[in-house]
Amino acid sequence: MSPVFPMLTVLTMFYYMCLRRRARTATRGDMMNSHRTIVSNSRTSPLNAEVVQYAKEVVDFSSHYGSENSMSYTMWNLAGVPNVFPSSGDFTQTAVFRTYGTWWDQCPSASLPFRRTPSSFQSQDYVELTFEQQVYPTAVHVLETYHPGAVIRILACSANPYSPNPPAEVRWEILWSERPTKVNASQARQFKPCIKQINFPTNLIRLEVNSSLLDYYTELDAVVLHGTKDKPLLSLKTALVDMNDLEDDDYEEKDGCEMDALNKKFSSAALGDGPHNGYFDKLPYELIQLILNHLSLPDLCRLAQTCRLLHQHCCDPLQYIHLNLQPYWARLDDTSLEFLQARCVLVQWLNLSWTGNRGFISVSGFSRFLKVCGSELVRLELSCSHFLNDTCLEVISEMCPNLQDLNLSSCDKLPPQAFGHIAKLCSLKRLVLYRTKVEIEDYDVIASMIGAKCKNLRTLDLWRCKNITENGIAELASGCVLLEELDLGWCPTLQSSTGCFARLARQLPNLQKLFLTANRSVCDTDIEELASNCIRLQQLDILGTRMVSPASLRKLLESCKDLSLLDVSFCSQIDNKAVLELNASFPKVFIKKSFTQ
Amino acid sequence: MRTCERLVKEGRFVPSNPVGILTTSYCELLQNKVPLLGSSTACIVVLDRSSHRLHTANLGDSGFLVVRGGEVVHRSDEQQHYFNTPFQLSIAPPEAEGVVLSDSPDAADSTSFDVQLGDIILTATDGLFDNMPDYMILQELKKLKNSNYESIQRTARSIAEQAHELAYDPNYMSPFAQFACDNGLNVRGGKPDDITVLLSIVAEYTD
Repeated sequence: MSPVFPMLTVLTMFYYMCLRRRARTATRGDMMNSHRTIVSNSRTSPLNAEVVQYAKEVVDFSSHYGSENSMSYTMWNLAGVPNVFPSSGDFTQTAVFRTYGTWWDQCPSASLPFRRTPSSFQSQDYVELTFEQQVYPTAVHVLETYHPGAVIRILACSANPYSPNPPAEVRWEILWSERPTKVNASQARQFKPCIKQINFPTNLIRLEVNSSLLDYYTELDAVVLHGTKDKPLLSLKTALVDMNDLEDDDYEEKDGCEMDALNKKFSSAALGDGPHNGYFDKLPYELIQLILNHLSLPDLCRLAQTCRLLHQHCCDPLQYIHLNLQPYWARLDDTSLEFLQARCVLVQWLNLSWTGNRGFISVSGFSRFLKVCGSELVRLELSCSHFLNDTCLEVISEMCPNLQDLNLSSCDKLPPQAFGHIAKLCSLKRLVLYRTKVEIEDYDVIASMIGAKCKNLRTLDLWRCKNITENGIAELASGCVLLEELDLGWCPTLQSSTGCFARLARQLPNLQKLFLTANRSVCDTDIEELASNCIRLQQLDILGTRMVSPASLRKLLESCKDLSLLDVSFCSQIDNKAVLELNASFPKVFIKKSFTQ
Repeated sequence: MRTCERLVKEGRFVPSNPVGILTTSYCELLQNKVPLLGSSTACIVVLDRSSHRLHTANLGDSGFLVVRGGEVVHRSDEQQHYFNTPFQLSIAPPEAEGVVLSDSPDAADSTSFDVQLGDIILTATDGLFDNMPDYMILQELKKLKNSNYESIQRTARSIAEQAHELAYDPNYMSPFAQFACDNGLNVRGGKPDDITVLLSIVAEYTD
């Protein structure tokens, strides 16, 4: 065998990967539509009647605007018949996610993105719904009632959540996917994307959303699943190469794929001892590493199987300093973790958000991984990782002494005692406990402790803290003078008449973001204090107060030159005319005024 | 009440705990982005078909009557702080907090009892009870011959209309006027007010 042969094959492989990539970036919509035309003619027959269902239950989701036991603006509203559609507006009976736009990315608390995150992964939030009957889906309609356009991906699962037997195999298939696109109207719409046909029946649908292009919170009213009980006849024919081409790159196996045949050739080939990788042998190690930095994780794993040199490069722990496994949540399991283990001993940032559910990752699998890879870990994202339990947190606290950043948002299956382990992490700088069952009796005590012990605190999110009072706020403000971001939205026990907001403004001159959402007592005096003292203010939310006038807002806007977001929704003194006038004088500020009808 | 309706339709309630429905609904009102203001009395009656029991919750001076064989067998008690000031759920403007009456939903009276076929359940606002004494209500109910929808609708309507007429009669000694006199106020006549009457009969379950 000539030395040129392996080199040619490697080059061919690169070329092949590029070709595949080019095929995939062809307009998905067009391809989908043409297939729909073929299928629709014989999709339904009298023997295979279409079943139309509303969602039965919401079983999982990453965030919502409302309070945990409430029916207002919570994800559970997505189940059942629509309550609002076709009306447009900001209604309590809809499902609303926690954030919108890019405001949270502009905050001091915004996290930096992971390296090597595929640009095709744009999902920020998700919701999973079940339906009564399993069907072969023919359509999924989403009834959006406010600021539509957030849904970017729809998936179907092969597992039946209502089946008494655990499923043999759990497969997620993308029915439809698109990049975030701006929808210009804020009006209600029935979103009817063209979905792909799949060869298994489903009653578990997942929507993934990206709200970054929205002008305000999106609100969803219902999801309708159209399908047939029996497999549509034509689906056998349409399970062609075309459909496979449309399958998203990121969902293919990392550790085995269509390259298998070629891999076998290499493992059996006598590669000899001397270097014969052509020009690759001449390139400096770091340069090859730099080239490899641009590959996605699945491609990196595939490349490792091409030859010994590239195997060495691709398995170099330096390639896995940032490991973002969130885009691969649908396939990531214990085996994947075990496979990656050896390469990840130096990992510093690990993102396992959304992964491991429905039995994909076990406690032992996770623990084993952390035992090997936890020592250098600085940042750990575990949002919506429902496999986590008390033992897992114990392992984290023991194996990750250098951890500075821990995100456990929406890990609502973690028992309260699990959080005790976090106390052992002495280097923590960022901790997210959104929607967890951590037990807090008295928020004033918490605020007081934070004021006493966390003097360097920059950001604090106390959204929906049910019993914090002016006492807690006072101790917080006097202790944490460096605070730049404070979210006190929906804290009903704070009363402006105690002077707590005025004091807060005077004591926190570095405030960039202040949310006082739905605090009905915020008044002109508070706004004036903010204007005098918090000139660095960029984001302010005073939704729902009757006591703030346009005049004081004008003072605020004049004083706070950096103000970019001002939410005056449901502020009775600030009507649309006032908003227009303020906008005319201060065109760079986004003044948000939501409405119900 | 619309919130209560939503709660019930979505099954987020326990039939034997109507006070829970009131409490949850009231809390939900506070979750609305729109700053709601106002106050109200409340009366909730739950018929549990499987146990044949009626569970009630009443806050304030609206209320219910259960009539069997032409007689009142159960009734709600009026809850008042003082004359003409019933217990009430309220959301006050922030400036007025502490100055305005705001009773907690769990101050509601609750009762549970068995019901029988043919029992008539009447729920109404104080506009009815302040203008029509029991015997007049019972007289109207005696005219109810069968349990079809039209008859019940007609009877409910006639009760409400009668109460409405009496409300504007300046010489009539209404229950409200009687109560006022008992409290040292020398008045006569009906009490013009909003009148809401709901009438139900416990009947055989048909699809």
